[in-house]
Amino acid sequence: VSSDCQAGCATCSALNGCLSCKPRFFFHLELDGIRQRGTCLSSCPRGYFGARSPLISTCTKCKADCASCFSENFCTRCHPGRFLLRGKCESSCPNGLTANTALRECTECPAGCEQ
Amino acid sequence: MRVDLFWMCLWCLIRHSVSGQGQSTAVCSPSCSCDEDGGADCSGRGLTTVPTGLGTFTYYLDLSMNNITELPASVFKNFPYLEELRLAGNDLTFIHSDALSGLHQLKVLMLQNNQLKSVPSAALKNLQSLQSLRLDANHISAVPEDSFEGLQQLRHLWLDDNHLTEVPVGSLRHQENLQALTLALNRILFIPDNAFANLTSLVVLHLHNNRIKEIGDNCFAGLVNLETLDLNFNNLMEFPKAIQALSKLKELGFHSNNIASIPEGAFHNNPLLRTIHLYDNPLSFVGASAFQNLSDLHSLMLRGASMMQDFPILTWTNNLESLTLSGTKISSIPSDLCEDLKLLRTLDLSYNEIKELPSFQGCSLLQEISIQHNKIQQIDRDTFRGLFALRLLDVSRNEIQTIHKDAFLTLTSLANVDLSMNSLTGIPTAGLSAVSQLKLSGNPRMKNVLSAKSLPKLRSLSVPYAYQCCAFVGSEETHMKKYTGGDDGEQISMILHCSPSPGAFKPCEHLLGNWM
Repeated sequence: VSSDCQAGCATCSALNGCLSCKPRFFFHLELDGIRQRGTCLSSCPRGYFGARSPLISTCTKCKADCASCFSENFCTRCHPGRFLLRGKCESSCPNGLTANTALRECTECPAGCEQ
Repeated sequence: MRVDLFWMCLWCLIRHSVSGQGQSTAVCSPSCSCDEDGGADCSGRGLTTVPTGLGTFTYYLDLSMNNITELPASVFKNFPYLEELRLAGNDLTFIHSDALSGLHQLKVLMLQNNQLKSVPSAALKNLQSLQSLRLDANHISAVPEDSFEGLQQLRHLWLDDNHLTEVPVGSLRHQENLQALTLALNRILFIPDNAFANLTSLVVLHLHNNRIKEIGDNCFAGLVNLETLDLNFNNLMEFPKAIQALSKLKELGFHSNNIASIPEGAFHNNPLLRTIHLYDNPLSFVGASAFQNLSDLHSLMLRGASMMQDFPILTWTNNLESLTLSGTKISSIPSDLCEDLKLLRTLDLSYNEIKELPSFQGCSLLQEISIQHNKIQQIDRDTFRGLFALRLLDVSRNEIQTIHKDAFLTLTSLANVDLSMNSLTGIPTAGLSAVSQLKLSGNPRMKNVLSAKSLPKLRSLSVPYAYQCCAFVGSEETHMKKYTGGDDGEQISMILHCSPSPGAFKPCEHLLGNWM
């Protein structure tokens, strides 16, 4: 175990990066070629959400159709071609809402807009 | 040649300005790395102040994991197009009330993992485009009533891992657009009635890892769109009846609390429930009608409800794939169980007081049945009839005396059978041709010898007496050996492991006329 660790690390090794994190940091395993390196983050990478618990906080993968998420069942951004509606990534939007491709969201349909 | 060069440079300038890449985003602070699109990454550089020299069109600025302790007034005034600002993992203790002024386009603000003691409400006031606000992992013990005033677009709010001792009811009062809120990992003791009354758009509410002992019967009133409620790891003494207000609830967790009973009709107002996590509660009673009409429920796990006597009514809970009901005083299983539970794949009714088994014939997808530690005395012809998918059957530690000769006939996938610790004198082997593991130890009255031929796939066998292994093993340690046995030259594989294995003092050859 080496002494000069990356910020957020409690313990680390030259080969595997962070082995454990300081309190309140998220532990995340990054792929480095075929190797895995531990990192300790204050926010998880895109496509992951931070799951906090008293003992350890970890980055957990969002569901497949989320680009980013608040928790396992609640997306905050969708992949291209999907549209966010109250935490879900839908393939189309319900009546009264329009599929906004730039925002990847179902947005209100202002007066006079063509659906 | 010079004319062409001129037009090419002009074209580059126009393309950059059209796509928001004015001449200035080419400028980047030496402390950062900037990309083509206006993103600036200045994270982990040991900075103590916000760097200067960044472009006006910067839309994404990552200052996380530095050593910034304060944000002075107007520190971001040069970034009118900023949409995402990351300040996580600094040592922020103070944010000037004008520090964030001018950020009219800001959608995401990350302030987690800092040293804030209160919500910087003045600084947040005019962020009218803000959708996501992270304040988790600070030392916030106070949330002023006006904290989120002006944040009309706020959808996601993180206040977990702070020092809150109560739900910040006042500051949430005007957050009709809020969709996801976490107050987990705080010190909240009680949830008052109408605590979230105006959060009509809220879909996810996390309250796990607090100290919640009591909640008002109407504390969830108004949460008409809530789908996920996490109350795990608290000190709840009573079943949270307040969930009756949550007609859209799909995921509910209250495991690891101090709840002793689940009342009748507990979930009758939550017909859309898919998952209920309630383990690690000192449950002693569960109302028989608690889990009725939950047609989206896939899994139900109830352990240790020691005073529970009646099998739960599961009418219209007909999408259940896994049912675990163990450690109760239940003594019988409804004969029509499989009329409702046609999709059941795993059934664990161990550690109860069940005397008799119905026919499981309608549960044709069943793969695993565990009924060990009950008071079952017999297995009939139809008990497991038609269970073609059944792989594992554990009926050990019962009082089984007889098994109908055709009881296993249709169990073509059965691989693992545990009949140990019963009162058997023998077992039918018809239908056990696919079995690879068979446990029969602890049946002292079973003295007959099994036929290796009827169990061709057997790899592991435990029997009451060593001599019963002789038909399956060689003289020394067991090993895999193929030999031609019998008249028709059919190949019979020999067993890999049999216990108790015959040895010097428990020989296979006859001694004194018999093995006894």
